[in-house]
Amino acid sequence: MPIEIPKDKWPGSVRQVVLGATAAEGGTRTSKVVVGGETCMPFMHFEGAIPNRPVVALEIRDRRPDDWSPLLVKTWENVIDDPAAWAKAAEEVGADAIQLTLSLTDSAGQPMSPETAVATVKAVLQASGLPLIVFGPGQSEVDNLLLVAVAEATKGERLALGICEDKNYRTIVATAMANDHVITARSPMDVNLAKQLNILISDMGLPLDRVIMDPTTGALGYGIEYGYSVMERLRLAALQGDAMTQLPMLVTPGYEAWKTKESKVGEGVPESWGDWLQRAINWETMTAIALLEAGANILVLRHPESLKQVEAAIQDLMTAPDMVSV
Amino acid sequence: MKEFTVRFDLGDKAVQVPSGTLLSEAAQLAGIDVNQPCGGQGRCGRCAVQILDGTVRRRSTLRLTTEDVALGYALACQTVVEGDVDVHVPAQEKIERRLTTDLTVAEVRVPSDYLFSADQSIRRVKLNLSEPNMDDQTDDLSRLLTALRQQVGLAPVTVSLATLRKLGGILREGQWEVTALLDTGTEVGEDLQPARLIDLLPGLVADIEPIWGAAIDIGTTTVTVWLVDLVSGQVRAQASEYNGQISRGEDVISRIVYAGKNSGDEELRQLVLATINSLIERVSQRAGEQAQDLSGRTVKAVVAGNSTMIHLLLGIPAASIRLSPFITAVNQPPLLTAQEVGIDIHPEATVDCLPGIASYVGADITAGVHASGMDLSEKITLFMDVGTNGEIVLGSEEWLVACACSAGPAFEGAGVANGMRATRGAIEEVWINNNDLEPNYRVIGGAKPAGICGSGLISLLAEMFITGIIDKAGNFNLHLETPRIREGAQGPEYVLAWKDETQTGKDIAITRVDVDNLLRTKGAIYAGYNVLAESVGVSMEMIEQMLIGGSFGKYINIEKAIQIGLLPDLPWDHFQFLGNTSVRGAYYALLDRKSRERITEIASKMTYIELSADNRFYDAFMSALFLPHTDLSKFPSVNGMFAG
Repeated sequence: MPIEIPKDKWPGSVRQVVLGATAAEGGTRTSKVVVGGETCMPFMHFEGAIPNRPVVALEIRDRRPDDWSPLLVKTWENVIDDPAAWAKAAEEVGADAIQLTLSLTDSAGQPMSPETAVATVKAVLQASGLPLIVFGPGQSEVDNLLLVAVAEATKGERLALGICEDKNYRTIVATAMANDHVITARSPMDVNLAKQLNILISDMGLPLDRVIMDPTTGALGYGIEYGYSVMERLRLAALQGDAMTQLPMLVTPGYEAWKTKESKVGEGVPESWGDWLQRAINWETMTAIALLEAGANILVLRHPESLKQVEAAIQDLMTAPDMVSV
Repeated sequence: MKEFTVRFDLGDKAVQVPSGTLLSEAAQLAGIDVNQPCGGQGRCGRCAVQILDGTVRRRSTLRLTTEDVALGYALACQTVVEGDVDVHVPAQEKIERRLTTDLTVAEVRVPSDYLFSADQSIRRVKLNLSEPNMDDQTDDLSRLLTALRQQVGLAPVTVSLATLRKLGGILREGQWEVTALLDTGTEVGEDLQPARLIDLLPGLVADIEPIWGAAIDIGTTTVTVWLVDLVSGQVRAQASEYNGQISRGEDVISRIVYAGKNSGDEELRQLVLATINSLIERVSQRAGEQAQDLSGRTVKAVVAGNSTMIHLLLGIPAASIRLSPFITAVNQPPLLTAQEVGIDIHPEATVDCLPGIASYVGADITAGVHASGMDLSEKITLFMDVGTNGEIVLGSEEWLVACACSAGPAFEGAGVANGMRATRGAIEEVWINNNDLEPNYRVIGGAKPAGICGSGLISLLAEMFITGIIDKAGNFNLHLETPRIREGAQGPEYVLAWKDETQTGKDIAITRVDVDNLLRTKGAIYAGYNVLAESVGVSMEMIEQMLIGGSFGKYINIEKAIQIGLLPDLPWDHFQFLGNTSVRGAYYALLDRKSRERITEIASKMTYIELSADNRFYDAFMSALFLPHTDLSKFPSVNGMFAG
């Protein structure tokens, strides 16, 4: 007797968002990524379509970061002082996209100038043909200053610009609109706050297919359950037809996992914790895969080995239909 | 193009204008001043004129009822000339009154069935005592009690030591004719309970002489006292003042915490008593001629207030109200005397603290429900008392459920930089011109403004939202071209009145912090009534009337309150503003034992729902921290406004 698998039917779907513009579209990217488009909960292939697989971006910095784990510094040691080389290396290890975070100060310790930011972004675009996500340092005034300059200098490349929050969204949205970029809208782990920010952005006239939302999350053991449930609820709302939540989600498990003690500290911890590097990579990977299951469309990671494992997991999850058709 | 004549009755002026001219333009041409607070956008309805004759086309009739239109009323800024027209320009003040009639604030009217002799627990009896002599050696008290029993049928009667001390003197001063004031108790059926002698006056006092009583509402933020003549039932004076306890904490929780620290409870008791007593002095003076010892002749006080306020007034420890499982020491305090409580009226006066039902639904709500009449209505009614604590009651004659949410004092004008109570000098209504973002406001009493009261804050918030000064999250748009939006000490702000036009000589502005406070207040209230309704399976559309109590100002504009998402998007005729329902309920209970009994019944009938035990509240609250709401489909009329 055939087994009837109960299926949910959803009236809504996630919007598709395209990152990066190739020469044909007025940019210089050699590839682009398309995310979103789902008509079902994550990897429930038998209930709907998942036209675009989730993608993984690697995070790079405009200069040697001050607060990264020595494990990461060691991994990227050869390129860590040169963002262009770093981007190239990231592309070589298989990233789908690059996420560049601008620092508050440049390598000489001076406040980051818009000129330096633009030069860095251009160098990265030159070095790698992948779609680029650019985050400011995370202080709204500095973000506004740097991102406007970057957006203008890269018009048509269809970058994703962040961090766009409810306090500073106007400037970044305006510049994204004027220069044909995408924005990432970050809200602090709450379904309503995420939706509210999307409404504010949409009110300014930016089409929602140029918005990615970052609901923020926590690492494994550091609040991931809360982040998971917020993402899941956002996705459920989207599938139920709530237009203001129908956006692809970007999360930063690399950033979250690498600030945990388990990843950061190698000495003075219980022996049972095992090998430091292995543990750190597992932490990042496990965090990322859990968020994948919660509905993440773009995962920003830091370590190439985590990238490899998460990409493999995505591969498996995307081919799952064969398993269900038993 | 065809030209037409527009004739205005005001000053008998006429002008020639081309077809399609706005009446407001024609009026300007004729040199007639028609108020347009909203800048001629057809939003405020203040420019209504009456078309006596002729052809016009109304582009919009917002704020005009169908009856208004039938009477020929038209908005000057939205109505174009299509023929010769005769126009009546009503006095501007008159327009205002007509437009506010739907914002009903009931005046205090003595209940039509009030009968002092039947309904009042206080009785005044005139007694003729037989004079003692060598043959009749009955003591003074027995003589009095016998007269009470034989002449008016009151027995038993209790008498205080203070009365005993002056008894002999008064009997003799009145030459054995005396007038006794007694309290026969709150329960209907007086014969069953002992009466209490409150006062004894020499001589026979005329029946029409007033007997004074006080209705007292102790709000967390505002205390209100009404002085009432119990004989006629009339309220002779009203007064309100901020609760003196405010300086020791803005909400009930911080008050309870303060009371728990070294003799903070006694300090708080003295502070609220000082407020009450100064208000009693004020109403006594306002009541007029016999002012000198009027408070001393006030023989009954009924007190409403939330449970914490009642506990603090009576000096009963309130700590358990704050801590789970949130239990009060007493929900129904016994009858007390003014002397025990510390209220400066007749020392023997009865003090009746009305019954509450739970820690966070107190006597202010049972009194308010009674005043609203919802417990006798067939309609599904949502009653809310918007104060520092927002209490919400849903139900009808058959059932009542209640909840409370911490709203904050913003709508009472506290906790907002330029907030004030709804008294003279408060800005109570605001309109902002869409084009130049210049405001237009109305001040209570017509004086120079000193601050903004609750209704003013609601209308200001709505106007800033509609005109894009703030976005849906309350962020100021600093890119707009106006000197009124600026960076202040507390972040971005909007200047409503420049210093040269204010009483204080300082700019009146609303800050980002104020906006956040207002959003939290309205969000908590909205979340409260939604979760309450949801928890009993009632949707907003099922609510047939919404009664709103609170002291945020007289002319709450329903449209504005909906625009900010404080009130649900229901037809305007569903709403009724009742003002301070707590003091009104206390007033009814002060007059009439049947009312007093009804309040007890309400208390026993009401089911309390604790929101803090409900996860849905937080979610509902977060989604309500937005203008008008995160779920846009809940406010179709507001969205329609943006779309159109």
